Amino acid sequence: MFAYTGAPVPVRPDLRYSHISTWGHFSRPGPTLRGDQRIDLLDSARADSAERDAEGIGLSPTTGALADHLMHRPASVNETVVRRSAAADGDAAAVEVIGLVSMLSAVDFTHLGLGADLEPLPQPQPGPPTGVVAEGLKRRRTHIPVPPGPIPVVLDLVPDEGAAFQAMFGPHYMTGWEMALDGFARNPGLDRAQMELVSSRTSLHNECFY
Amino acid sequence: MLRASAASFSYPLDIEAVRDPSIPSGVPGGNLLLRFVDALLIDTEPVDHIRELIVNDLGPEALVDTASVFGNFSMMNRIAEGSGIPIAAAAVERERALVDTLGLADFVKH
Repeated sequence: MFAYTGAPVPVRPDLRYSHISTWGHFSRPGPTLRGDQRIDLLDSARADSAERDAEGIGLSPTTGALADHLMHRPASVNETVVRRSAAADGDAAAVEVIGLVSMLSAVDFTHLGLGADLEPLPQPQPGPPTGVVAEGLKRRRTHIPVPPGPIPVVLDLVPDEGAAFQAMFGPHYMTGWEMALDGFARNPGLDRAQMELVSSRTSLHNECFY
Repeated sequence: MLRASAASFSYPLDIEAVRDPSIPSGVPGGNLLLRFVDALLIDTEPVDHIRELIVNDLGPEALVDTASVFGNFSMMNRIAEGSGIPIAAAAVERERALVDTLGLADFVKH
């Protein structure tokens, strides 16, 4: 698992472990979807066919469309796209899908950057959805119900997805503690200014103001 | 964060390089890193060549970091778009010069 076939350089162990952990998270039942549904959705999202495949997965085509657009055309995702998904399958399912597809993009685009073959998706694990959904959250001029706070907490309607998302920051970018240091540098590796150039140009292309 | 980190390392950052990678960024290896993102997202040049240049100029660990930051912000951009996390109008005005320099006004969704 995660041999990064095709990459010209070895990959840091912490980054590899993050990818292994993320794959394990994907394979397990989520708050609204079974493990097999999660894997089927991610497979379809990779192929830009989630809207077409959605009903066979047990989701509405509008949620499939959300997955496709988010993976392949993120700038096209707006309140209408998200609200249609939430109206059809519920807020928790929409947030679960946003989290899954976004986390998949972190792993897949890292592979793309390295020139490595994409990792096959994991085998799903059995069991019903967990039903773990936070209560009392509301939309705060957002597309989805969120707690007050910055972007790392926006998935916390479904706390297990939120935790998996936050766990990816350190190995892919910086931990929260490291982000407090303007002069942070990996040695050997990039310093913070170099990292921020990559992040800025990526965000500019994705038309993401935030 | 870019401006603060560049100042921390005393780099003569030209922020316009983020908008136009032909402008020297003032950050060591910075223009290579910008070209890497462009090669991946808009197919401006062969990515293998840019990877080789990054490894030769910045080291093999730098290529891993570059790819992982690219992956991280591919994720963060999607989280932002999916959640619709708002940008306060006051924050936009506070950074008006930067918004105008980088042409970000069209990306603001209030």
